[in-house]
Amino acid sequence: MSALPLQRTRRTGNFWRVFFVGGLISYRALFYWITPWQYIPTMLAAPLFQILFFVYLGRATGVGSTTFFVVGNSIQICSMSGIYGMTMALANERQFQTLSPILATPANRMALFLGRGLPVLVSGLQTTAFGFLVSALILDFRPAPGVLPELALTVLVSTASCTGFGMALGSFGLRARDVWLVANIAYFAMLLLCGVEVPLHQLPGVLQVVAHALPLTHGIAAGRLLASGHHLAAAWPDIWEELAIGVAWAVLAFLLFIYFEREGRRTGSFDRL
Amino acid sequence: MSALPSNRALYRSGPAALSWPRQVGAGWWYQLKMQAQSGFVVLVSLIQPLIFASIAMADQQAGNRTLPLLYYALGAGIMGIWSTVVFGCGGALSWQRHQGMLEPLVMVPAPLIVVLLGITLGTASVGLYSMGATLLWGWLIFGAHIHLVDPLAFGLAAEVMIVALGLLGLVLGSSFVLYRNANSLSNALEYPVWLVCGLVVPLSLLPGWTHYLAYILAPTWGIKAMRTAALGGDPWPAILWCAVSSVAYLGLGVILVSNVERLARRHATLTFQ
Repeated sequence: MSALPLQRTRRTGNFWRVFFVGGLISYRALFYWITPWQYIPTMLAAPLFQILFFVYLGRATGVGSTTFFVVGNSIQICSMSGIYGMTMALANERQFQTLSPILATPANRMALFLGRGLPVLVSGLQTTAFGFLVSALILDFRPAPGVLPELALTVLVSTASCTGFGMALGSFGLRARDVWLVANIAYFAMLLLCGVEVPLHQLPGVLQVVAHALPLTHGIAAGRLLASGHHLAAAWPDIWEELAIGVAWAVLAFLLFIYFEREGRRTGSFDRL
Repeated sequence: MSALPSNRALYRSGPAALSWPRQVGAGWWYQLKMQAQSGFVVLVSLIQPLIFASIAMADQQAGNRTLPLLYYALGAGIMGIWSTVVFGCGGALSWQRHQGMLEPLVMVPAPLIVVLLGITLGTASVGLYSMGATLLWGWLIFGAHIHLVDPLAFGLAAEVMIVALGLLGLVLGSSFVLYRNANSLSNALEYPVWLVCGLVVPLSLLPGWTHYLAYILAPTWGIKAMRTAALGGDPWPAILWCAVSSVAYLGLGVILVSNVERLARRHATLTFQ
């Protein structure tokens, strides 16, 4: 009888070890852009130029203020990590022929799966923080200092939500042959659909419905409210919705992961490229 | 004589000066066919430009509408061509080396520059899909008025621009091969060129120092030539500048490719990353 609590403690310890250590190792092994030669051009320079490009497009078309585009793009660039990073963290196991050994271990699947999201989430936060910082320096983006913690909370929720979406895309990589095409389309479609570059009410009705099911749409709306001087109370509904959408995508992603694991075992398709 | 295979066309080289255009043509056609099979090319030359065209045209309709929709449709088309060039040509040499093909390409009697010209011109030509797609999309979805003031000059401008971009691709490919992570560099070079060359943002909105960069980049003259041919104005100076820049790119490309070939032979790195 006395051995049971000890066993449970060990199991819990194993869970967190797989979650933290396993997640970190997988990030170091599978994230293509981890070296400075890749990280700086891809995760910092490209997102920065994206912000500049759309701020100037906004000025040319007169559709929105600099704040509108800075907030939209700075939050959206977290998906560089959320979408591509999560796709790498899951799909590259198959690409590198390491999926079978990993799934042969008795490691807790929830820890194995969610642990990969944590470094990706941190990386996404870095990119978004860099976007806001450089926008403050060169585009004169000046939110009220009092809203910064609230804006940070919104960014955290949005990045987590986007990571959940990326997990779902990455799970397809356990089965699909070319998940990169889907990840690329998802990244660019989010620019159009999530209200990043075009006000949501300008989109056709069907696309608005799709937009509300995607991550970032509500987070960006909340971020814009806060940046334009509204209080947290005004942004809460959007933040909650963003959180709920993120959780829904993460749950779907985990179910897909389990399903594709079972299918892979049944059909022996883990190493089939 | 009897030892010759039945397909004598393969062995019909003729004088070197005459065989080079045929070799470039054969490489161009082969590259066109090969690129049409790639999902990534479909993404970059069709899906991505349509998303950017939709963003620009939706912003135009929601904003001040000072510039016509055709202005943005043309710009988004050339954005697609540039993406095709920066990814397809930028990594052309690195890709050949990665695939173990650089060694045989250097070994064949045809000069390496001729082989690479076929590849880069073919890749740039694939970008024409983008132009067709964004014009059709603008007309079908956004009701853009597609009326070309000078169709002849428009067609000529498109051809001169494709050649210029193919030759710029040759310069990129032979420069990027010195950089281990060419793909990351391509990621970072997409937005800046779209912005600096005034593809969807008028150059007058950008800081003055960016104009010097714009003048040395062929997309600036290409879009100017095509816009003036389509919307009214004198396209010929821009077409001429596009042709002049092509000659400059070719000269630079010849120097860079021979340098890469010499270094790769000396250090025996034709087949290594």
